[in-house]
Amino acid sequence: MAVSWVERIASFLRSPSQFLSSTTAEVFLVELLREQRDDRVTYDVKLIMLSPLCEHPMLLCPSACVGEETSLELMSVFSHCPAKHAEFRCQLLLTLTTVLVSTCCVSTHSHASRDFLELLLQLVQDTSYDPHGDVPSALRSTRAAACECLRELEACSPGLLSPHLELLNGLRQQENPRHHQALSGLYAVVLRNGVHLLARQTGAGPESLKALLGGNAVVAWDAEPDSAALINRDAPLPSVLVPVGAAPTFQTGPECKELRSVLSSLLEESYLLTPLSQAALLHALIEIVAMVSGVSPAIFKAQLLRLLGTSKVCLFHATLLMKAAFTDSLFSAEDEAFVLKRLVALCQHPLMSTAAKLFYTDCLLHFPENRPIGGADGEEALPVLLTPRLAAALVPTVFNDPATMLARLNVAALVYLEEEEGEEHGKEEDVRGGAGGGPTYLWDHLKLLLHVAEQGGDRGGVVTFFRVAFLFLCHFSHVERYAADLRRRLCGLYLRHTRLAPHILNLADRAQDGPVEPGWAVALLRSLQGAVVTAGASLSGVSLPDLHWHLRVLARVAEEGQISQGSTVDFLFAVTSTASRNGDWRLGSDALAVCRHLLAHPGLDALLCPLADVLQHMACHHGDTDIQDHARLYYTLLTTLSQEKLGGVLSGGATKEGRQDKKRSLTSIVAESQDLTSALTVHKARTPVFQLVAQDRLGGLSGSTGTRDDDSAGTGPGVPDADVLSSYRSQLCGSSTASEISLSYELRYLDASGPGFDQLFSIRLHFEPSDGRYAELSDVCVPRLFRERATPPSSPPPPPTVTLTLSPRAPYPGTLRCSAVFTTQDELTWHSALPDVHVAFRQMFKPLPVPASWGPAVQLRAFEQLWDEFCSSEESGGGEDPSPDRASSLFCSQLGEAALEALVEKHFAPYRVADPCDEVGHKVLLFLPPRSHMLLKISPQEDAVQFNMATDNWRLLPHVNDFLRTVTGWETQNGVDS
Amino acid sequence: MSLRALWIITHEKGEHVSVRFSRRFPTVEYRAKSLAGTSYQAVPEDSTVLKLLLTELGLADPDKPYVAQRDDCLNQQRTPALELHVDSSAKGILWPVLSISRGPLILACLPLVEAGEPRPPLSSLLSVSQGLTLLEGLQNVLCGSGIKTDGDGLASRLALMPSVLQQVCPLGTPLDVPQVGAPSTAGVPAAGGSQRQPAWRTGQHRGRAVVSVALTETVRCMQYGNPSKQDLWDVYGTVTCKCEVEGVLPSVTVTLALPANGSPLQDILAHPCVTSLDSSILNASSVDDGDGSAFSGPYKFPFCPPLEPFKLCSYTSQVPVPPILGSFQLKQEEEHQLRVCVSLKLHESVKNTFDYCEARLPFFNRDQMSSVEVKVSSGHLDVNKEKNLLVWVLGQKFPKSREVTMEGGIRFSGPLPGPVDPLCADLTAYVKLYFKVPDLTLSGCSVDQHSVQVYSCAKPKILTCRELQSKEYFIWNSTAPAPVSSGRMML
Repeated sequence: MAVSWVERIASFLRSPSQFLSSTTAEVFLVELLREQRDDRVTYDVKLIMLSPLCEHPMLLCPSACVGEETSLELMSVFSHCPAKHAEFRCQLLLTLTTVLVSTCCVSTHSHASRDFLELLLQLVQDTSYDPHGDVPSALRSTRAAACECLRELEACSPGLLSPHLELLNGLRQQENPRHHQALSGLYAVVLRNGVHLLARQTGAGPESLKALLGGNAVVAWDAEPDSAALINRDAPLPSVLVPVGAAPTFQTGPECKELRSVLSSLLEESYLLTPLSQAALLHALIEIVAMVSGVSPAIFKAQLLRLLGTSKVCLFHATLLMKAAFTDSLFSAEDEAFVLKRLVALCQHPLMSTAAKLFYTDCLLHFPENRPIGGADGEEALPVLLTPRLAAALVPTVFNDPATMLARLNVAALVYLEEEEGEEHGKEEDVRGGAGGGPTYLWDHLKLLLHVAEQGGDRGGVVTFFRVAFLFLCHFSHVERYAADLRRRLCGLYLRHTRLAPHILNLADRAQDGPVEPGWAVALLRSLQGAVVTAGASLSGVSLPDLHWHLRVLARVAEEGQISQGSTVDFLFAVTSTASRNGDWRLGSDALAVCRHLLAHPGLDALLCPLADVLQHMACHHGDTDIQDHARLYYTLLTTLSQEKLGGVLSGGATKEGRQDKKRSLTSIVAESQDLTSALTVHKARTPVFQLVAQDRLGGLSGSTGTRDDDSAGTGPGVPDADVLSSYRSQLCGSSTASEISLSYELRYLDASGPGFDQLFSIRLHFEPSDGRYAELSDVCVPRLFRERATPPSSPPPPPTVTLTLSPRAPYPGTLRCSAVFTTQDELTWHSALPDVHVAFRQMFKPLPVPASWGPAVQLRAFEQLWDEFCSSEESGGGEDPSPDRASSLFCSQLGEAALEALVEKHFAPYRVADPCDEVGHKVLLFLPPRSHMLLKISPQEDAVQFNMATDNWRLLPHVNDFLRTVTGWETQNGVDS
Repeated sequence: MSLRALWIITHEKGEHVSVRFSRRFPTVEYRAKSLAGTSYQAVPEDSTVLKLLLTELGLADPDKPYVAQRDDCLNQQRTPALELHVDSSAKGILWPVLSISRGPLILACLPLVEAGEPRPPLSSLLSVSQGLTLLEGLQNVLCGSGIKTDGDGLASRLALMPSVLQQVCPLGTPLDVPQVGAPSTAGVPAAGGSQRQPAWRTGQHRGRAVVSVALTETVRCMQYGNPSKQDLWDVYGTVTCKCEVEGVLPSVTVTLALPANGSPLQDILAHPCVTSLDSSILNASSVDDGDGSAFSGPYKFPFCPPLEPFKLCSYTSQVPVPPILGSFQLKQEEEHQLRVCVSLKLHESVKNTFDYCEARLPFFNRDQMSSVEVKVSSGHLDVNKEKNLLVWVLGQKFPKSREVTMEGGIRFSGPLPGPVDPLCADLTAYVKLYFKVPDLTLSGCSVDQHSVQVYSCAKPKILTCRELQSKEYFIWNSTAPAPVSSGRMML
């Protein structure tokens, strides 16, 4: 069993959604908690079984109420767990924290979270530690875990532990080794949050700070759990060191000795912490000092050298954050130069990992200068002190990995751009270096990468070359000699490796959209056109794949109105008139794609005759009929329509987003262009367009409810004799429809759906039972859906109705995920999600599925016999027990007589079993597909109504309970008539 | 300062990809949701994350030559933080996903951004450097000592991850990095005395006191044999310590000394257990060599040692000459036939005693070697099984002249094509040297046994050693273009 649990947990963690499709979250949670209480399960397995709750608490505890119950359960497990299972106890504490925080129990200050907080504080204070005892390490780690839990609770609900600040300070100072770190970290976070909250408060002064440190801050946690201030305050606090908006500051005046001494003592002992904890502690202290005006940043001075010399990324980073927060109040100009030099050295230190070097390089471009010149937050900028000489250590080389190469190229380019600007002002004072030594190096570097790509470099090398080329262009495309040379070389590269066409065209597109000198992309395309046309001069030497890419390139070139297309048309003519390749559909289609762009080209007038020749030739002589037809269509369009009209016809797909309102012309179907892609792809609607609305108030109850369904029982036996149950069961087995429920919905527009969706056609609805409770549903088709106009038409068509037939696998409520594929008026196909359809418990009800021939008396007999069977306590002897999960229960509610009658009439009428002997009470038999029964005997007593229940499936009881609670409560509150 | 989730992935060149371990931290997620407001994007299931991550890393669809999403030149990944586009809208982005990889192992995590919109710069988020530190720590544990991660060893180490993370990152806030190996002499839990014990020293040593200090210098080199290209080399050193000394907070001082004319140690980085550093030690930097600081030691490092071995400090150094000067000429004689000529000269300042020394000549973009008629003046030649690599084993000593040569012809007409390397087209080729010299440093830096001070009651045994090793030591063929390694020369 243990093994299977380990596997089950693993499969849950792999994909919770898939796992929950075969069971339900409630059941899984119940099982997990049950195992926690089972003494036969080892603590190793129990530990593993906590992980679903620890990683996906919201899936298993979807509401605060479930979270609360689960936590109480886990806390009782904790209290029963022996201290020697320290790892399990720690994990239990962590799980409890996770569940309570995630389900908002902490932020709403639920009872469980208060109890848990108390437990944690107790654990942290537990000083009954005996250094010579047997279990010191175990106890210590539970205490460390408790500290961690407290820190997380405080981080999620700032201010939570403020009242305990003095207590924590005391513990921190008396503690020994391992807890020192945990308690210092905890104390720093609580202090930081306390100060932050004070800084946000108006009117907080030195006294408030004193009160905070003394643990006497007014905190509403105990006072008024529901006060508005508390709720508002309970959100996690953002970091004050992130340069977004101004950090809150707090005027304390010079009088904050206590705070200063606390900070000093934390700092003094900070080197005893692990680097990661130390960095976090420093971060919190930096934040505090940044917010409190009365404490001078000089308090950090003593730590600086140690931190600047560190080999640990997080500690050096904390120092940079310190520099950003305090600038020249802590770092002199000399210090700044030193820090920068160190940072540059770290960017290329042979013992740093690649990721660390990249991170440092990023820090370099966001270097916290004492006096920054550029004001823009978050923009990359070179620090003024970064001279070309310093930056020379960071030039890219071919031995770098791609990311490092790009990062370094970026830095180097920024440096050389500045240098260049400087030189322009300095009128080329240094002739030798003035030739742009820096850019030349980068250019050589780019050429080397190009060489690698030319030599048949692998995919990674090619992609890197194009990224570097783009980055180079972003910085240096204004230098004509590089720009022109790069174009020339790219053409050469293309001719050598035509398969790189997508990369080159991608570069051209990005250069056109991006910060590259305007015109560069067009010039590149023009060169490519020249290269292709020249290379194709002797077509016999061009391979078919090459030709395919050539035509692709020319199609892109033809999109540019500035490029004259004469040579393209000549090339097309040569290609299409080459007899040997005349039957190739793909080639023909590529050629037509070029033609199509040419038809839309502004210089079409000049191309008219030669293009007509090409099209006519294709129409008459191409080996493929499809190509012939399309060529003919293009020819007709070209020769009969004016250029404006032609443009109108063809511009259909030219809009970038492929949005609505444009009538798609069939001409586009063959041309492989954006048009075709947008016509053939299924577009994804960002928001749902329509929804399914249950047809009646009860939520889609229909057809089968009111009447006994003759078919549902199939051709069962006639009226049975004494053994009603066995004949009922045998006919139930033979009936397929008995285990189905059908629900009706209307398809209606959602208000938020956009204007493009006013008329929808061929709607195909697809349903997916989200948790595997129902068998697969077949798709449902709806021919059309039109939006009702505001203008009153004679009679608006009723919204289409959709009837779903569900075959439940288990008799519980569930959810259907819906999606739809449909066509809009402009012939585009869309895919859209619909809001989930929730199948309520009450929608699962059916009357007893028996033939109509069974009169009320027989049904009553069936009811009585089922009742007896479900309520009998002993196992039925011998054979298989027909209802092993039977259970009985009782629900009471205060209802008046009239109210009860109304309730029964409204909710249970179809399922009542008439009993002539019982005038006052009611018998209700709910059949829940596939084969569960819920029997109710409703009898009014003196002061309450009793709902006696019997069922063959105890798992239904919570649902029935909820249902009854809802209907009775609702009725009493709202009155019978509403 | 916390992480929202963490993933460990294995792959073989982009294939057989799987998430081997993942961990989510819902309390941090709770904070993320609250802090990010409307721009919040939940972490999707592992399979989705995996797909998106591979696309960003350029590993998705390895059989397709061009995939727009993967290969777009606009994707300029210049930071360790990736963006995962969970859906097509501008908001559905997971950022900053940190990812590091070594061999078949990819580790990734998603740090918490403690701010809302607009997106803050990466450098303002401490969680990023913390995430990187944790990932690197986990990587060291998972990869073990070797670069190779064999299947079984990795699987057993992965199985330890839940309990490792419970210790070092229980609720998403990293507290420490896991230790690679338990200390050889198990620490005894410390008694609860008045003295604070560092969090990274988890117990006390009992037994004989031993302090060992090992100094390893590594030399990297690019020699072109071409007057227009300046040869480049650099040297960096690391000092590794293992201190088995008693006490809760023992204090040890190690001093590095340079010879009288030695050039100063630069870019010194110290382990966090070093309690104080002198500013003069940190001043020398490799990135600006023009400063007049004449400080050349002694370099004192006072520290309180952890129980396990650790890197006390590292430095770089600029030495005037490379230890072995080489020249390499490769010429085409006829089709499939190359003439090779290599000469190596050991500098006179370098001790002529090697642990090992060999020169390797790999051949790319050619067929296998069919015949090798090459003579060497010293040592012996091996050809590898795949017949694309010539190994010249020089052994423990250069001859008295300190010069060795190799000369001869090689035919490449084997039945199978050899490996491909786009850098080594045509005659572009290199010789790579592998050597280790005991008891030598190029900078002259040394740790004197008597300079190691230990403040504890028992007199410890002190061991010191030093060695020089090569790494990326290239000698390029001087008759063909060679890739330039660094542009520092142009200034």
